[in-house]
Amino acid sequence: MRFEIFSLIAVVGAFVWAFRALPMRLDLARMPEKGALARFFAATGVAAIATLFAASMLPEFAGGRSLPALIGSAAVLAVYLPSRSVVLATLAGAAAYGAGFAFLA
Amino acid sequence: MAQDFRRGALIGAPIVLGYFPIAFSFGVAATKAGLSPIEAVVMSLLMYSGAAQFMAIALIAAGAGFWISVATLVGMSLRHVLYGPSMLRAGGQSAPPKGALAWGFGLTDEVFGAGLGAFARGQAFTGGFIWGLTLVSYAAWVGGTAVGALAGASALAAWPAVDAGLSFMLTALFLALLLSIMQRAELPVIAAALVGTVGLSFAMSPTAGIMGGMILGALVGTVLGRRDAV
Repeated sequence: MRFEIFSLIAVVGAFVWAFRALPMRLDLARMPEKGALARFFAATGVAAIATLFAASMLPEFAGGRSLPALIGSAAVLAVYLPSRSVVLATLAGAAAYGAGFAFLA
Repeated sequence: MAQDFRRGALIGAPIVLGYFPIAFSFGVAATKAGLSPIEAVVMSLLMYSGAAQFMAIALIAAGAGFWISVATLVGMSLRHVLYGPSMLRAGGQSAPPKGALAWGFGLTDEVFGAGLGAFARGQAFTGGFIWGLTLVSYAAWVGGTAVGALAGASALAAWPAVDAGLSFMLTALFLALLLSIMQRAELPVIAAALVGTVGLSFAMSPTAGIMGGMILGALVGTVLGRRDAV
């Protein structure tokens, strides 16, 4: 294993660990239930997932794969709404995207 | 403890289904970019961050400088700062279950989303649950990388549609997770996050879009929550 590759992995990995594990050491017990920071953390979850979905869709549009991406997203909705299953919806979305990609190719 | 662990592992099943093929694609891409299978697997073991890992192999392949690469990859991971406290809040905990310095490393985007969904459905935030959820996800990521790296650079060349479908797996998972945790009152938060992400991605960079969109959405939620509390 090359030293420069391992160094990069080790340094970035240390930051990733610190970002994920250390903020939980904050003393949340003293945080007011309806305080601004508590509301901020409560809203972060849904905002983060919405952001990651948007960020992963943008390259699809920029890369000319908007139709397969829309077909895949529609499949996720079509399967999730009746089944309420994250597993089935995810698999259906990926399968529909692959099928749309093959059809257009 | 064992029952909670099994419950966490079960909640992590969709993540395993999403992670294994994506990690497989990462292993293939890493060997394509000139990394050895061991380097690819060590990256998944120690970085465990999909987007940053794909960016890392692009930076390595492009010959980017060490500190430029570190700054870019650390910047991409900054969003994780918010996940731990937010998860504790959602799980009704003032302090994390034991071992947070270890299982905390497993708080990826998908684990965070799946955990929030489980807490919203009444799951208790116990040590067994979070260990089950984080360990199966980590094993799928590292295992998928190893299989992909050993399969080699041309593994998916003959299967472009399968390759395409696998590449969409995480996007589909994000949408499904969003549907599982969203409530009508949170639509302004989602709208603000989407607008912020798209706007800042075009105006600045995708990394700025992710961080800015998340913070904008959370700020809108903070303001709306204040109105509800009054």
